[in-house]
Formats: sequence, structure tokens, C-alpha cells
Amino acid sequence: MHEIILWHVGNGTVHARTLVMTWLTMALLLIFVFLGVRNLTSGKPGKLQNVLEWVVDFVKGLISGNMDDYRKGASLLSYLVSLIMFIFFSNMLGLIPNFVAPLFTNVEFAKLNQIFHGAVLQSPTADINTTLALATLTIILVIAFGVKFKGASYFHHFIEPHPVFLPIHLIDILAKPMTLAFRLFGNIYAGEVLIAVILMLPGIYVFGGVLPMPIWLGFSIFIGAIQSFVFTVLTIAYIAQAVAEEH
Amino acid sequence: MNPFGIGLTYTIASAAAGGGGDNPIALDYTYFAQILSFLVLVWILKKFAWKPLMNVMEKRRQFIEDNLTFAERERQEAERIKQEYQSELIKARTEAQAIVEKASKQSEERAAEILSAARQEAEKMKQAALAEIERERDKAVAEVRAQVIDLSVAVAEKILRQKLDMRGQEALIDQFIQEVGDRPC
Repeated sequence: MHEIILWHVGNGTVHARTLVMTWLTMALLLIFVFLGVRNLTSGKPGKLQNVLEWVVDFVKGLISGNMDDYRKGASLLSYLVSLIMFIFFSNMLGLIPNFVAPLFTNVEFAKLNQIFHGAVLQSPTADINTTLALATLTIILVIAFGVKFKGASYFHHFIEPHPVFLPIHLIDILAKPMTLAFRLFGNIYAGEVLIAVILMLPGIYVFGGVLPMPIWLGFSIFIGAIQSFVFTVLTIAYIAQAVAEEH
Repeated sequence: MNPFGIGLTYTIASAAAGGGGDNPIALDYTYFAQILSFLVLVWILKKFAWKPLMNVMEKRRQFIEDNLTFAERERQEAERIKQEYQSELIKARTEAQAIVEKASKQSEERAAEILSAARQEAEKMKQAALAEIERERDKAVAEVRAQVIDLSVAVAEKILRQKLDMRGQEALIDQFIQEVGDRPC
């Protein structure tokens, strides 16, 4: 569990650690993906290319499983593959021991010494700003796809079956991104809190929580994978709901 | 200054952290930075990774599909050729059968022909032999008759030499001669 480190930008603030960890995640993800697509071949794919192709096929399967017509969601494929991989990598980052801490102990620049302080790195998804940003993009996509495939009549569903239901629909469209954001944030943040708690265990376990830590890290990998999957599936499901012909 | 100053989450955050930076649920400009970061990430990945990767996957799909179509076409072609060969084989068998039948019929006919020709020949030869026999018999009869006549003449001559002087018997001799002449052989 980390205290929040703020950078002051203009008249506002940003969460410095979250941003740095996001960029770290993006860098790792980009390295991983570019290693995979370095030697692209339509013949026999390499190991990493195989992994990426599996992810693409997996997300493609999710889209065609949720949409009434795959072609409606085909243009989303790139976004969704990026989303699931980014969330998964973000969730995993919080489990990695902070090997780089010694490098930054004396770097005062941009508070890097505080950012890289602690036993483990931080997941970008353990910050509500990240998860809410992703959830906002999801709800923007939902509305955009609704308008794209149904035109102005998309907004008609807000007053169905009767205009009285308008508040309920408004709550619905607000609750969707909120639940998405808080579900992911809560899972990952709680995981990090528990890692911090395990590290503070007294007695025989005091040395890094030798026994409970591997168990919890394994479970956290499971949670991180599940949460990235859930976020992506719900994004697809909400969009599918918006573009479906019949409600 | 917080952009979500009137938001519920901000209220909770402020209340819990006393306006400080320790509350985990605190929204600020990070939100916009994350949206921007993620969109940039999506753009880079889409342009440099997913597009080429999906092209390659599509190419492979196309390749496999082409191969399958090709194999199916080949299979149909092979099937067709097999049918053709089979029908031709059947045709050839029937033809062979017909040829054999025709040949055996022909040989039978020919045998019958030869047999009948031989019969005719034999018949002809038999007829010729019969005719020859007839002719020989006729010849023999004529010869016998001539000899009988000669003999008769000789006998008659002898009798005549003995009884020529008996003039009164002239009439009888005539009668004899007459009788001999009339007799069939």
C-alpha cells in the first residue's frame, strides 16, 4: 500500500506513481508485443506470435459470442485486444518486486525516489483514475456504437417502455462505467493492500511472508487475469446491447 | 484544485483524507492523462502490431481456405475420373463379351456350313457313284446282250449248218430268229 505522490501540473495534480507505472506497463507491453510481431509470418508462427494470435482469436471469439453480428464489432477488435492486454499487464505489474528501487534512492527529480519506494511496484489499475478512464472510454464506445448503428433512434431506448423510465436508464448508463471502474480498482487495490499486509506479518513469517506470499501472488495472478477478462467481456456486452436489433 | 470538485467520490476522498493525498479514491488530472495514455497505446498497437498481425492471420486463413477448396476440387476431379474409368471398364467388358459371343456364333455357323458342304459333297459323290454304277450296268447288260446275240447267232449258225438242207424247215428257222430278236436281255 503506497501513499499517493502528487505532481503539480498547472493548477491541478496528477498521481505521479500511477502515471510512471502506466508508462512502465505500456513500455513492457509494447516490448512484448513488438517481440511477438517482429518476424510475422503467415506460415508457421513463432512462440510469441502464437501467443498474440491466441489473444486475438480469443477476443474475436468473445466478440462473435456476444454480438448478434460479428461485423458490427469487428472494428473494435484492435481496441479490445489492447484493452485486455493492458489491463492484464497492469494487474501483473503490482506483483513484481521493486528491483529498480536502489537506482532511484537519491534521485530527487520528479520525486522518483518516492515513486520507486516500497517492496513491489504498483499496478496502474490500483488507481481509480485509470479504471475510471478505461470505463469512460467503454461508455463512450457504447454510445458511439449505438449512434453509429441505430442513428438518433438509439436515444429512443432511454424512454422505453415509457418516458417514466428515463431516470432508471440514466442511472443505468452511469452505473455501468462506475461498476466497471470500481470492480477492477477494488480487486487490484485490495490485492496490493494484502501484499503490504503480508509483508508486515510478524514472527516466523516476517521474512517477506515466505509462506503466504507465493500463495497470494498466485491468487493475484488469477484475479488479475479474471478481472482483465471481465472488463473486456463487459465492454463487449454493453456495446452488443447498444447495437442489438431488438432489446 | 480538483477537476471533480463537486463529485461524490471527491467528497468521500476529501472527507476521508482530510484533503490530503492519502485516500486511494481520489480523482484528479491523472484521469485525463490515463485516457490519453491508453488511446496513444491503442493507436500505436493498432498501427504497428494488430494490423500486421491480423493481416498475417487473415492471409493464413485465406491460404488454408484455398488449400481446402483446392483439395475438394481435386477430390471431385478424382471421383469423376474414377467414375469415368469404371464406366469405360464396364463398356470394355460388355464389348469383349459381345465380341466373344459373335466369334463363337460365327464359328458355329462356319462349322455348320462346312458340315453341310461336306454332306452335299458326299451326296453328290454318292449320286455320281450311283450314276456310274447305273451306266456300268447298262454297259454290262448291253455287252451281255451282244454276246448273247453272238452266241445265239453262233448256235443258230450251227443248227443251221446241220439242218440247212432241210428246206422244209425254213419257216421254223425264221420263227426262231424272230423269237430271239424279240427276247429281252
